Amino acid sequence: MSFDTALRATEILLALAFLQQCSEHILGSAAARGLFVLRAGLSLLLLFGLYSPWVLLALSLHSIFVLHRFDGPYNGGSDRMGLLILYCLCLARLLPEGLAREAAFGYLGVQVVLSYFISGWVKIVNPDWRSGRALRDVFGFSAYPVSENLRGFATRPWLLWAMAWAVMGFEVVFPLALLHPASLVAALSVAALFHLANACLFGLNRFLWFWIASYPSILWVQGRLMQGI
Amino acid sequence: MKKTVSLILPVLIPSWRFFKAVEPSPRVQWAVGGAEQSQAADWQEYQPRPQTLSIGRMLQRLFWNPAWNDALFVVSCAERIALGRTTHSINEIETRVRRDIHAAGKGGQGGTFKFRLVFVHHDGGQRVEDVVFLSDPASVGDPI
Repeated sequence: MSFDTALRATEILLALAFLQQCSEHILGSAAARGLFVLRAGLSLLLLFGLYSPWVLLALSLHSIFVLHRFDGPYNGGSDRMGLLILYCLCLARLLPEGLAREAAFGYLGVQVVLSYFISGWVKIVNPDWRSGRALRDVFGFSAYPVSENLRGFATRPWLLWAMAWAVMGFEVVFPLALLHPASLVAALSVAALFHLANACLFGLNRFLWFWIASYPSILWVQGRLMQGI
Repeated sequence: MKKTVSLILPVLIPSWRFFKAVEPSPRVQWAVGGAEQSQAADWQEYQPRPQTLSIGRMLQRLFWNPAWNDALFVVSCAERIALGRTTHSINEIETRVRRDIHAAGKGGQGGTFKFRLVFVHHDGGQRVEDVVFLSDPASVGDPI
């Protein structure tokens, strides 16, 4: 994937993720509706590729007001990933052509790899995760299961033990997927399915859209690394 | 400026430590009225989850999930209150609880309400609930 194609693909996916987020604020929860009307307008310009560098800069400045409005991210990790994509795109469009632009966009790709590896690592060193106990607690009493019936999973320890190891195993070996384009595509497909499952079981829908929006960066990073070898 | 830096820095250098450990989980409960609200039965859960959710509804929520995302923000606010970051989070929760009270048809007679944060965890296989915060009375006010 060329640098320009990856940048444009990321812009389109980020704009769509922002529009999904904005629609929920404007038509649903009414939390800071005015701020999200502005973000929606800017996201439409980004979607159609109009004035991209300046739109990205405006979205970046606007994001500071949103962070202040909610005293931090509204939706934790998904908001943070959305803004990381935004800031990296903004730098990649505004910096002079050359290594600095590539470094800004490459940083996003590196962070995507770390997002899987670190979250797998912190789990695998925790005895509660290795025994399956942590995932039992997630289903048993955490605020995340979307229905009471899903709490029944907490009574199936062997299933949760297998699920916990599948998640941890996938996350910690994710960096190895960079060794070949086909393995990276396969790993990103599995990762997207993982986010889909989290969206269905725990209602974390925004994670799915923002992480998918970050995938062109890692596809480009992988190609760039292969070029260099 | 310092505040802005503290908000942006975790975005630029994320920790990615999702579910490192499963901490006690907050529930927001509210009660309308005066002294009788100390009775357990008077406390209503904020935005209780449904008993079941069909696969179709789960898939639809991939695209449209505002109530759940707002409830997750309330969970974040509850965790911030437990960490001592209170004023903003208390206001955010009060606004939403007030809306919940009117939606439940309990705002008609005016008066005041309180909310409390109950943190749930397991200890030796037993479910334990700790009340870690009780708000001051706030006006039920008008529907928003």
